[in-house]
Amino acid sequence: MRRSVGRGWIDRAFWLACALCAACVGVLLAGIAGAILWRGLPVLRPGFLTAVSSEAGASGGVRDEIVGTLILITTALLVSAPLATGVALVHAVYLRSLPARRRLLVALYTANALPSILFGIAGMVVFSRFFGWGKSWLAGGLLLGLMILPTLSVALIERLRSLPRKYREAASALGLTRAQTVWSVLLPQCAGGLLSGALLGLARAAGETAPILFAAAVFSGAGLPSGLRDSPVAALPYHIFVLAQDSFDPSVESHLWGAACVLVGLVLGLSLLALPARLRAHEEAQNA
Amino acid sequence: MIGRRWDGRLEMTAVFSWGFTSLAVATFLGMLVLFAAQSLPLWRHAGAGFLSGTTWFFRAGQFGVLPMVYGTAIVSAVALLFATPLGIGAAIFTAELLPRGARRTRLAVKTAVELLAGIPSVVYGLLGVLLLRDFVLRLLAPWDPLSGDTLLTGGLLLGIMVLPTIISLSDDALGGIAGSQRLAARALGLTRAETVLKVILPQALPGLASAVLLGLGRALGETIAVFLVIGRQDNQWPERLLSLRPLTEAGQTLTSKLGGSETFLALDDPLHWGAITGLALVLYAGVALVSWIGARLALPGGGRA
Repeated sequence: MRRSVGRGWIDRAFWLACALCAACVGVLLAGIAGAILWRGLPVLRPGFLTAVSSEAGASGGVRDEIVGTLILITTALLVSAPLATGVALVHAVYLRSLPARRRLLVALYTANALPSILFGIAGMVVFSRFFGWGKSWLAGGLLLGLMILPTLSVALIERLRSLPRKYREAASALGLTRAQTVWSVLLPQCAGGLLSGALLGLARAAGETAPILFAAAVFSGAGLPSGLRDSPVAALPYHIFVLAQDSFDPSVESHLWGAACVLVGLVLGLSLLALPARLRAHEEAQNA
Repeated sequence: MIGRRWDGRLEMTAVFSWGFTSLAVATFLGMLVLFAAQSLPLWRHAGAGFLSGTTWFFRAGQFGVLPMVYGTAIVSAVALLFATPLGIGAAIFTAELLPRGARRTRLAVKTAVELLAGIPSVVYGLLGVLLLRDFVLRLLAPWDPLSGDTLLTGGLLLGIMVLPTIISLSDDALGGIAGSQRLAARALGLTRAETVLKVILPQALPGLASAVLLGLGRALGETIAVFLVIGRQDNQWPERLLSLRPLTEAGQTLTSKLGGSETFLALDDPLHWGAITGLALVLYAGVALVSWIGARLALPGGGRA
């Protein structure tokens, strides 16, 4: 078929426009990654990870912040994992009707998009107004756990959905009860999904500032928590958040880049660990 | 259908699953109830005037939500104007225009984009403070802004932040369309551009709309990054609603207000606290609505759900 000249030009212009968009995005995203590495890596001496922050963030390291972040995300995961497993099982096993399953999934997507600051405000109401707590790592962990619950549930649901049907049919044919099917077929087969979902949830929790803003985090002077109610923690994102608000001192600035680099390393490290399991699940879903 | 019919025994696994699910649902709905209950003093004081009020001056007991809604709307609009064409264009390029052998490239791009979506917002905020702020200050020099902390800065930063979300979801939407459609279109002699514009895009439209809506949901609710670059000065309800001038001035969004020092100040005054939780209620309702529509579009009913 002959092409008119105009059509060819439109085609080329369209290709070029899309290629330009892609190039812009590529440059932008590479620039972001580059800026963080370029400015942050020189600050990352071993001492930076093991020293305590001093002089209001202008020198020292981020040890307490790393410890605090690890405490917060571990608590969040412990809170969230059983709940998310329950939600995923309800979706995959106990809800029989398709519309109801879809409603649950839509609700999870919606909950996943709720602004994180709302968890901060709600935490302030519940923990400080109702319970009378001071800042506490437990409050922060609970809030973060609630926040990552939809992420974790969706990851698990996707994994359960990608399991070949024949596993369930075989379990049925062997006369297993629903509970036996869950414990000896579905959950063991989804261990990878559980793990990658957990890692993604941890990654998301590690980077969030807003939920811990009012209820959990302090800028300095917090090592290991000593109790439940009034034991604040330091946290990497909160540390960066506070320092970024007055970043005019050059030594604070380099310290900031270093802290950002550590945080990004932690978050991307967790997401990358989850990657192989996700890719495998993706492939299996396509081959099933 | 799995397992045998219920045999009358209590199944602990089911009990716990349903229990945990109810707990989760109750907590998320409970947050809504919590905000509604805490903001009661405000509704008694201002009534529906809270939603139509154009001034926020807490010392005089005046609480109107519109200045903050205005800030959020402007910032999100800038973000979407920036991210939508760029994101969808880039998704079309990687999903449709790259040669078919370039699967691996596409996978690599998708992985990179998803990793970038995971970068914490506080880090984007830091980039905004240290890099974007100066850039905007120079960009706006002809209009002589007071600083680089403007609504425009917030909007651009948000645009960069929602870009990965929009690209990734658009890519999913385009990838969901059967390859045979493309082959048929090309076999009929359509050019690449015509295939994409006339065959692929109309079918992918709900998915693309959902990508933009979920991006919007993220933009509406983003707190920390916006907080750091927006200047946090209450928007005067603009006399010039249609003017672009506010873009060059510092402003305030729903989220930056909630994350700011006023939240601490408000704790002791029931009315003021009611106003803060009222803002939270408005934000909850707005974001939930937008994301709910987006999620419904992304998860079409029927077979797969």
